[in-house]
Amino acid sequence: MAAYIIRRLWQMAPTMLGVVLLVFLLFNWVGGDPAYVLAGKISNQEQIDNIRRQLGVDQPYYVQLWIFVKQILTADFGASWSTNESVSHILMTRLGPSLTVLIPLLILVTIIAVGLALAVAYVRGSLTDRMVMIVCTVGLSISILVYIIVFQYVFAYKLGWFPVQGWGNDFWENLIKYASLPILIGLTVSIAPNLRLYRTFVLDEINQDYVRTARAKGVGENRIMWIHVLRNASIPIITNLMAELPGLLLGSFLIERFFSIPGIGREVILAVERSDFPVIKAITVYVAFATIITNLLADLMYKAVDPRVQLK
Amino acid sequence: MLKVVFLRVLPVLMAISMAVSAYAADPNKVIRDVFPAAETGFDPAASNDLYSGTIGQAIFDTLYSYDYLARPAKLTPLAAETLPQITDNGKTYTIKLRKGIMFAPDPAFGGKKRELVAEDVVYSLKRLADPKLRSPWVFLVEGKFVGLDEEIAAAKQGGKFDYDKKLPGLEVVDKYTLRLRLKDTDYNLPYVLAHEPTAIVAREVIEKYGESDGRAMANPVGSGPYRLAQWVRGSKIVLEANPEYRGFTWDFTSKDPADQKMIAQMKGKKMPQVGRVEISIIEEDQARWLAFQNRELDIMNMEGPLAPQALADGKLKPELAAKGIRLDRIVDPEISYVYWNLTDPIVGGLSKEKVALRRAMAMSYNVAQDIKVIRNGQAVEAAYPIPPGVVGHVPDWKSSIKYDPASANALLDKFGYKKGPDGFRTQPDGKPLVVTLFSRPDSLGRQQDELWKASLDAIGVKMDVHKDKFAELLKMEKKCQVMSRPAAWIADYPDGDNFMQLLYGPNTGASNGGCAKIPEYDALYARTARMPPGPERDKLYQDMTRIAEAYAPWRLTISRYRNQLLQPRVEGYKKHPILRAQWQYLDVAPNPK
Repeated sequence: MAAYIIRRLWQMAPTMLGVVLLVFLLFNWVGGDPAYVLAGKISNQEQIDNIRRQLGVDQPYYVQLWIFVKQILTADFGASWSTNESVSHILMTRLGPSLTVLIPLLILVTIIAVGLALAVAYVRGSLTDRMVMIVCTVGLSISILVYIIVFQYVFAYKLGWFPVQGWGNDFWENLIKYASLPILIGLTVSIAPNLRLYRTFVLDEINQDYVRTARAKGVGENRIMWIHVLRNASIPIITNLMAELPGLLLGSFLIERFFSIPGIGREVILAVERSDFPVIKAITVYVAFATIITNLLADLMYKAVDPRVQLK
Repeated sequence: MLKVVFLRVLPVLMAISMAVSAYAADPNKVIRDVFPAAETGFDPAASNDLYSGTIGQAIFDTLYSYDYLARPAKLTPLAAETLPQITDNGKTYTIKLRKGIMFAPDPAFGGKKRELVAEDVVYSLKRLADPKLRSPWVFLVEGKFVGLDEEIAAAKQGGKFDYDKKLPGLEVVDKYTLRLRLKDTDYNLPYVLAHEPTAIVAREVIEKYGESDGRAMANPVGSGPYRLAQWVRGSKIVLEANPEYRGFTWDFTSKDPADQKMIAQMKGKKMPQVGRVEISIIEEDQARWLAFQNRELDIMNMEGPLAPQALADGKLKPELAAKGIRLDRIVDPEISYVYWNLTDPIVGGLSKEKVALRRAMAMSYNVAQDIKVIRNGQAVEAAYPIPPGVVGHVPDWKSSIKYDPASANALLDKFGYKKGPDGFRTQPDGKPLVVTLFSRPDSLGRQQDELWKASLDAIGVKMDVHKDKFAELLKMEKKCQVMSRPAAWIADYPDGDNFMQLLYGPNTGASNGGCAKIPEYDALYARTARMPPGPERDKLYQDMTRIAEAYAPWRLTISRYRNQLLQPRVEGYKKHPILRAQWQYLDVAPNPK
């Protein structure tokens, strides 16, 4: 096991290198030169060159790339080009609000989607199953933007059940008061696709021989579904969950923007609008790193769930 | 005897203590405002976005400001005691500071009260010139003050700006007096000294909180009416009244009948009344609008796309008026225009054929359609380059460039722009004629592309579009590589010079995005730059405007309305064309919902 983990960590290096090169090339190709915006309304070439010098973008590409690599190795991406705030401070302070919304959302979506998937798979082919699938299809067809606009208008403005927007200073106030509607919207958007997916995984297992055998032996349906079927269906469910985890680092762009949540998603949009490369670099690298780590964790969890899995 | 002396001295002592004691605003009076875009930081020399500058106006003092009610905007002393004494043909300014202006308390001052003095003003101006700071506002001081350019050059050589070096152009005469000496006559200097990048900071604060590049974006300490109480970047800014602020009495006057009720409400009040300002950053239109309707906000600007939600024919909808909501509307001191690059081989140049092409394109554009469709009716036609509210504006100007596609077609026919089999014209020498419009990849850019395409199609001029990020467009513009682009300019200060300089040849690569070089125009501008505001200068501006219309380096299009909506609890509000932070002039009911 230890050897496997070390080997997988070692394999991270070429993947990260690929990410670094890709981000660097893309940004220098399409990212835009921030010096012209930072120079202000009335600026001359000398002032722009001064800014480029101070930002380090006047250096040859290979020097800039080496600086980028050193920043990754030291986890120090410097300061935002537009606000001068240190990038690590940006990530530390913005991650909290994003996770306040996304972690409860992920937990609730998983529990509800898995539970509903087991239930509708059990009554597969029935009117209930078909109605649920129709609702899921309709729900999937509607853009998250529509949900946000409608829910904000109806539940926050018209009914007054939630604030229209905002974020407070207290964790519980944020979780209960400000994050509730964003979480509700997230649930509405995410349950349908996850339910359809998990239903498929469960159906694959329900038709297996061991389920027929368990029924023949008189095992109760609840135990069959929640213990045997779920355990076997959990490997693809774990895969799906782990694939979603790195997304926590990106936040939810639209939800944070519409509800004025000072999270990482909103920060990413600002950084892109401002061509703020240090922030974009840092977030991209951290998400890539998180993706690699969660993939490794997923493999380890497969082993824990199914002892037959061999890690080679 | 002692009792007599005491009774005579006591009132004097009380008067002195009242004169220097700070005024305390009511902390229960809270105003909730909103910005539609995030701020970057609060160092006046370093931040260059509108919203950071707005906060800067509330936290810092400048030497001058503007009378709250006077229109057009009128300069008044703020940190200065009076308007400057101008001598030497507009080249020397002697300025006396008010005594007793105190910075907000801060650990940088070592627990002592800190008075604003002349050294602080000189230090603040020098910061704009420090190359390490890379201030976007260096143009306000570079080339202006005697001795400063040499110090900038030395700093670039040696790597460090010498703030202690005495410069003849920035002289501290005594604790409360400074003398500014200019290289050339400039009657606009007081406006520069009213602009928030020249706001006065304390050296100890910058040295304590400044980053390695000398910027102190996160710890603003000023002598203005407010100080920063809480800051969640990009989300929420909370200002509280500066406990050391000197206060002022609301005694503004106006002849406008619409102002009289407000004057009656506010006159004589000790300001600021509002003790706390909470500003939310809400980028999305719907969220902002719903928050305002939900009374989560007290003041909100209804921008173009949102305006139809609240306005009908320029007036507040009855259902909103019934709730006591008020509308305060002005034409922003800005112009929008489309320029043609005068160095471009196809559309540029001063020959009759090129001038005819540009005039025809200008005449093909339907500004009324722009206002109706693109701006949702929230704009007025900009016939004159100096917008309303700015000194030098001519309200009833009749431009010689009007929407007239028939005349535009006739002009092109006359100067040899023949139509080919595809219906599009060629240049007089037979070469293809394609005009490229450079624009941003946003919804406004797309709408402008469509309207211009329709306009040029109507006169047989083929158009294509080049889309690029704003930063890239700026880069190309400074290199005179942009053939044609929609642009806009908002007043930095309320003087016509700020707009007439947009076509001045030597400003190519800076604010002259169209790289215009029209000798007659440039000669007149150079004369006006040395003149104080007045009828003589206005006459030259009008001549320059006619020259610009003749050569058509640009097509003026619109100036936007600024529609401020106010909850009924807000008192004393009148949108100022230049001042963006107005909270210190307002009063509110003490307990918001």
